[in-house]
Amino acid sequence: MSNDIKTQVVVLGAGPGGYSAAFRAADLGLDVVLVESRETLGGVCLNVGCIPSKALLHVAKVIDDAAAMASHGVTFGAPQIDLDKIRDWKGSVVGQLTGGLGGMAKARKVKTVFGYGKFTSDKTIEVEGADGKTTITFDNAIIAAGSSVVDLPFIPTEDPRVIDSTGALELKDVPEEMLVLGGGIIGLEMGTVYSALGSNVSVVEFADQLVPAADKDIVRVYTAYNKKKFNIMLSTKVVAVEAKDDGLYVTFEGKKAPAEAVRYDKILVAVGRKPNGHLVAADKAGVNVDERGFINVSKEMRTNVPHIFAIGDVVGQPMLAHKAVHEAHCAAEVISGKKHEFDPRCIPSIAYTDPEMAWVGVTEREAKEQGLNIEVANFPWAASGRAIASARTEGKTKMIFEKETGRVLGGAIVGINAGEMLGEVCLAVEMGADAEDLALTIHAHPTLNESIGLAAEVFEGSITDLPNAKAVKKKK
Amino acid sequence: MSTSQKILVPDVGGEEVEIIEICFAVGDSLEADEGILTVETDKASMDIPAPFAGTLSALLVNVGDKIKEGDVIAEMSAEVTPAGEAASAETAPVEVAVEAPAPVVDEEPVAAEPASVAAVATAIIDVAVPDIGEDGEVDVIDVLIAVGDVIEAEDGLITLETDKATMDVPSSHAGTVKEVLIKVGDKVKQGSLVIKLETSSGAPVEAAAPVAEKIVEAPKAAPAPAAKKAAPVPHHPQAGTVKSSGSIYTSPSIRRLAREFGVDLTLVKGTGNKARILKEDVQSYVKYELSRPKANAGSSVAAGEGGLQVVSAKAIDFSKFGEVETKALTRIQKISGPFLHRNWVTIPHVTQFDEADITNVEAFRKEQNVVCEKKKLGFKITPLVFILKAAADALREFPTFNSSLSEDGESLILKKYIHIGVAVDTPNGLVVPVVRDVDKKGIHQLSRELLEISIKARDGKLKAADMQGGCFTISSLGGIGGTAFTPIVNAPEVAILGVSKSEMKPKWNGKDFEPKLMLPLSMSYDHRVIDGALAARFTVHLSNVMSDIRTLIL
Repeated sequence: MSNDIKTQVVVLGAGPGGYSAAFRAADLGLDVVLVESRETLGGVCLNVGCIPSKALLHVAKVIDDAAAMASHGVTFGAPQIDLDKIRDWKGSVVGQLTGGLGGMAKARKVKTVFGYGKFTSDKTIEVEGADGKTTITFDNAIIAAGSSVVDLPFIPTEDPRVIDSTGALELKDVPEEMLVLGGGIIGLEMGTVYSALGSNVSVVEFADQLVPAADKDIVRVYTAYNKKKFNIMLSTKVVAVEAKDDGLYVTFEGKKAPAEAVRYDKILVAVGRKPNGHLVAADKAGVNVDERGFINVSKEMRTNVPHIFAIGDVVGQPMLAHKAVHEAHCAAEVISGKKHEFDPRCIPSIAYTDPEMAWVGVTEREAKEQGLNIEVANFPWAASGRAIASARTEGKTKMIFEKETGRVLGGAIVGINAGEMLGEVCLAVEMGADAEDLALTIHAHPTLNESIGLAAEVFEGSITDLPNAKAVKKKK
Repeated sequence: MSTSQKILVPDVGGEEVEIIEICFAVGDSLEADEGILTVETDKASMDIPAPFAGTLSALLVNVGDKIKEGDVIAEMSAEVTPAGEAASAETAPVEVAVEAPAPVVDEEPVAAEPASVAAVATAIIDVAVPDIGEDGEVDVIDVLIAVGDVIEAEDGLITLETDKATMDVPSSHAGTVKEVLIKVGDKVKQGSLVIKLETSSGAPVEAAAPVAEKIVEAPKAAPAPAAKKAAPVPHHPQAGTVKSSGSIYTSPSIRRLAREFGVDLTLVKGTGNKARILKEDVQSYVKYELSRPKANAGSSVAAGEGGLQVVSAKAIDFSKFGEVETKALTRIQKISGPFLHRNWVTIPHVTQFDEADITNVEAFRKEQNVVCEKKKLGFKITPLVFILKAAADALREFPTFNSSLSEDGESLILKKYIHIGVAVDTPNGLVVPVVRDVDKKGIHQLSRELLEISIKARDGKLKAADMQGGCFTISSLGGIGGTAFTPIVNAPEVAILGVSKSEMKPKWNGKDFEPKLMLPLSMSYDHRVIDGALAARFTVHLSNVMSDIRTLIL
């Protein structure tokens, strides 16, 4: 069976970027076809990424919190873990969201075509679906093909004991000894889940700190808190993995490398993601894809072919859903004739670990590299009533201001709920707020969030919840 | 000089704390406030920060050690002597108590203030071009001094030629010229350095020094694109300084609005709190830009945007038809050409012709000149003076003629003063010096001023200020000949009076023809501002005053 469709806009990929582009274009009055290779909408984020991992992290948090209550006088029994039930619950979370998307697509009259779509020319895409081929002739296309996990050549990926983030989320079992290869956000999040479920988790990272993009003082708080939970090997790399019947034997090299090969029951490979630019036959449409698989785009999200746009992971770092959504709106609006550009001042990053790490705008290291004249103001959570009451004082809120003007250039928060607090800093950076604006905004007490206002007060020299280094010096 | 200092444990809350992490090794260099090690208290873990930047020279503790306030944990050597009391340390290790780690706030290193220039016997100062009433750069046509010259304050240093006149740049101070930084042909503007001058007295130096410093920066800072971007219209509602796009102080919604209208936000002046760019600022900028062609299309015509589309003239090789010679336009022609073109194209001109009977005023003028000569007043009364007075009277009677269109083209700006420009033919070209307060001055004073002005104009000594502020212009070709012509309005003025050669004509007085000396008047006006009827009334009033100047004192 063969189908022919003609449309004003075709969107290739229905992740957060793809469906947002399709829905926005439809809302602007365009005919839209959305092509997706999975069986449901939502892409990696909803199906095998952000959302299911958050469901499992919620499980992990409750287990850890329950255990931590013992020292405050409430003791629970050892948790009884029913993996099937956890998995079902995770599946229901995903199902609720992807089902919702399907409904919204219908309501907007966005036609969805399931199957693998590839360009056949600069005007046509062919989709290989379960019910045969569909040829879509389009006026405009938006490539939202996303990214996939990076494999390492010396890892026996065919071995079922070697998993990636998708495999980890499947939650087949809880291994006794688990190695997380890569100390980035994804590796640490999954490590947190498996550790809570009972695994002994080791993390190996080639760089000299976990989550290399974040400032080291932020990561250090995380590392110190998790010293007992994880065996962390920094400045160390895996050089060989030997699959034996009783486990995977891993040989390390570097600063913290054990002398002998170490046996693990499972290895989670989380060393990064690569763009899927090479997987959509973009060359047939004349779209340039670089050797790594990225598609270069203008600020309007146009590729080198003016009526073909690209958004999301496939156009570059950071590979984050919220970046893709904004790029998607931009592409859809430009196609509909609006003058729009993707021009944010900042894109937030959050590690949903325990404690969470969240940062936005320039980091202290970036500021130094760029030669910016900054002043850093810290508010340690040891001075936060809410943090003390929650028995989680390890956190801190760090704000980065332009020294001369007090303009908010960035901020980083490490601690519980850090991710939920970051929004204020994002808004401050986008709006061009000054330290004074934050300091004079009344933040509710007692909250963790007030630490942002208090850090601004540290900068302003009006802080009263800490010793004030900028207080007027009294003459003796 | 490197000093080794002991690092002590600060107040960590009273009890002993356990070291859980050592973040650096001996030999590592670390920044001020970077944590050397992490300790764990019963409340939280905290870093013990380095009190200054330097190199870790010794580590005296291990992970697991218990330490308390005052314990020595490490030694650091600083490349730079730290600020504060530690500065006195020369060699011996000094104990530096580290502040509590929580509020890490950088102490700004205080740079030594450059000592102000003391009053000394001699000093070298920079002399720069002052405000010359010009926005752009002007040519240097003469350098009047040389190295070694001893000059007085106000002595001329260089001669500049603007579109309106040539002028000398005076020295701000007396002294000896040490260095001349400008040569003939250079282009300068306000702030450009002219000479370095050795002054003999110290006193003015202090005042001059900071100014000179600023001036030194000016040429460096002069961003060409900024100058080009800035619209040539005064009172433009735009930011004075060009900002980089990253530092624009506004919100994402306003950035989007600006993109939709193609507005460069670096050109928009923010009126919000702390000069934040508001939605209204972008809207008013757009409105203003849209209204500009109405009020002052000249700038856009000159810039080749909007305005008129005309067929470009083909290049013609005239030598095909006979011998030719190419001669450059004079500087004044080159500069005034575009302005004349702009005025001619953008102002709807109408020229009203009339004749004034000047038989009596000429007789009176000749009588008075005999008196002037007898009294040795040193000047002659010319017919132009009477035309000036009559024009001033007409301007007062018809204030619309003494006005300018507002920039947005929405209103008229009426002037309560009467300054009249007089076109003067000089060897270098046409210049238009302005006679101020014509209505308040007598015939003698005006005659004297006109004489001074024409001498200055012919000598190229007019200053920019001498040619600014005109309300109306008189161009007299009467001394040469002709019966009428159509002068071009000198924007932002709205009218110009052309005067041709007077001629004895037979005039019918009701009974017979009488010989009358008639002066032809050609008045061009901006029809957007002035109606034809009003223009006729104006010229009639003007000629009535000319024919009987007694009406001036009524």
